[in-house]
Amino acid sequence: MSSTKSISMRDSYFKALYPIFLEDKKTMLISADNGAPYMDPISELPNQFRNVGIAEQQLVGMACGHAREGRKVWVYAIDAFVTLRCIEFIKLDMCAMNLPITAIGVGSGYAYDIMGPTHHGVGIIATMRPWPNLTIWSPSDGAMSSALAQISYENGSPQYIRFDREGLPDLYGNGTDFSDGILVPKKGSNVTIVATGVMVHQALKIAKELEKFGMDAEVLDLFRLKPLNEEALLGYVGSSRLVVTLEEDFLTGGMGSSIAELFVDNGVETPLLRIGQGQTFVFDLGGREAIWEKYGLDEASIVKKILTRAEKIHFFD
Amino acid sequence: MSDNQQYKLKANWHRKTVLEMGVNGKSGHITTAFSLSELLICLYHGGILKFDPADPLWEGRDRFILSEGQAGIGLYPILADIGFFPASNLLNFLGRESTLGVHAEPNTPGIELLTGSLGHGLPIATGMADAAKIDKKDWLTVCLVGDGELYEGSNWEAMLTASRLKLDNLVLIVNRNHQFTIGFTDRDETQRDVILDPLSEKLESFGFEARTVENGHSFPDIFDAFEGIRGRDNGKPLAIIVKTIKGNGSSVIANQRGYHYKVPKGDVLEKVRKDLNEEFELLCAHEDELMPALKGDE
Repeated sequence: MSSTKSISMRDSYFKALYPIFLEDKKTMLISADNGAPYMDPISELPNQFRNVGIAEQQLVGMACGHAREGRKVWVYAIDAFVTLRCIEFIKLDMCAMNLPITAIGVGSGYAYDIMGPTHHGVGIIATMRPWPNLTIWSPSDGAMSSALAQISYENGSPQYIRFDREGLPDLYGNGTDFSDGILVPKKGSNVTIVATGVMVHQALKIAKELEKFGMDAEVLDLFRLKPLNEEALLGYVGSSRLVVTLEEDFLTGGMGSSIAELFVDNGVETPLLRIGQGQTFVFDLGGREAIWEKYGLDEASIVKKILTRAEKIHFFD
Repeated sequence: MSDNQQYKLKANWHRKTVLEMGVNGKSGHITTAFSLSELLICLYHGGILKFDPADPLWEGRDRFILSEGQAGIGLYPILADIGFFPASNLLNFLGRESTLGVHAEPNTPGIELLTGSLGHGLPIATGMADAAKIDKKDWLTVCLVGDGELYEGSNWEAMLTASRLKLDNLVLIVNRNHQFTIGFTDRDETQRDVILDPLSEKLESFGFEARTVENGHSFPDIFDAFEGIRGRDNGKPLAIIVKTIKGNGSSVIANQRGYHYKVPKGDVLEKVRKDLNEEFELLCAHEDELMPALKGDE
């Protein structure tokens, strides 16, 4: 988390969305009173922006009405609110009616660290995963966020994008092909770390640390959480001796759960270690790193967990 | 035969059809539908709404949102009667291969949205009405909610947007039958239920023009309230509170909380049938006036 970019992923996205809005007037952005520097130009386009106030049910319901009348619609709020506050509107008015609405959530995981359990974007992967027709994106850098603007515009069905609050270090070049929903920011041979969002960056540091112990970890950036690119995932983990999932969300029903389901359904017997948050609400202050340290999501804790599991499966024998 | 007499016969037919659909399907919100017979006939047979049964998604149609989706059993006979789908489909209400469910679904011709979870229709309606304004279309968005439904806060969120955007092309109809599932929406004698009154004042304070139909089972009264709903330009969304009786048409199920979602059986069922048949006979007291109605609407 040491080097962050000045422009947030959300702003990279809005910046790329603006020319799309200029080109296609049948687009609408609705905010639940959330702003962003690069949202401002969009908000000044006549009849392409609405602010419904802090009213997330109205946010998604109104988007459904616009989408039924032929618009592509984006709804925008803090991650915990654009999802959990109005999940039934997402279920029925976005997903069941299969409409081109993209929900943009800012502040996934513990990005709103000192804001407490009210604002923590956790429990959301599990909440959003079940709904048919929904595509879930969890980007890890600016180029990816920027590319998602066009991808979400072209995709005619419901989507949800969970952004970290701040900018994250660059991982990918501007010409990167993001169509697979999964990328490999670091190649490796015998251990696979599947991470998403901010945890991709954490995984890269951990992979480096693991080298000291003779583990050659591959890092998979799973930025499309749904639908899973099952074929690609199964291919990547094929020769691995240990698969680790890493997410800043609850383990219950989260990204790691989806990988466990994939393994069980396909008879994959590779040992799987899921790392994320347990059944705990976080009231602790002191910042995101303090939270990570206390709940085992910091580098040292994660490395320790991986080494412990590796020993159990006789990785080093 | 007067139009009013024709409409009354249609309402009698509507209630009989709803009842037998419910009996046949062993489910459905019959009493809700009974409260809406006259209103739905005014909307669809009385020329209030614009629609084209031959082209259910005709661009110029009014968007009618049945936000209280459990009233599907009430809307289906109307849609069949005006030709959106064959009347024989009504016999398969809730059956296999049918689209006619307890709650309205948009794969049924003439049904605009998926509704039944309450408090969704009005937020969606604001999006549709806003789209019509932006696109300079003259169709109306008409959203029917139950009064019990108005306890969902999303309605009030939507009203804030509707008035802010001056959506005078939006009509909110409130089916004011005064009943919850287990209580009443505006009686305080039990000290148990949440009170919705004064509803008209609440709607006005949220920026709506509010009208009230004191007798929602009177065709002239309903038509009066819907006078001039098209082409309004006062910048205010319109709310029409239609006071109805849940289960209207038969004394044994009227205003009976137990029949919110229960199909009458045995003696009760026979009494409802008898009441509706007696009403029919009364309406048909002048046989010469009856014949055109029996033959349909020609």
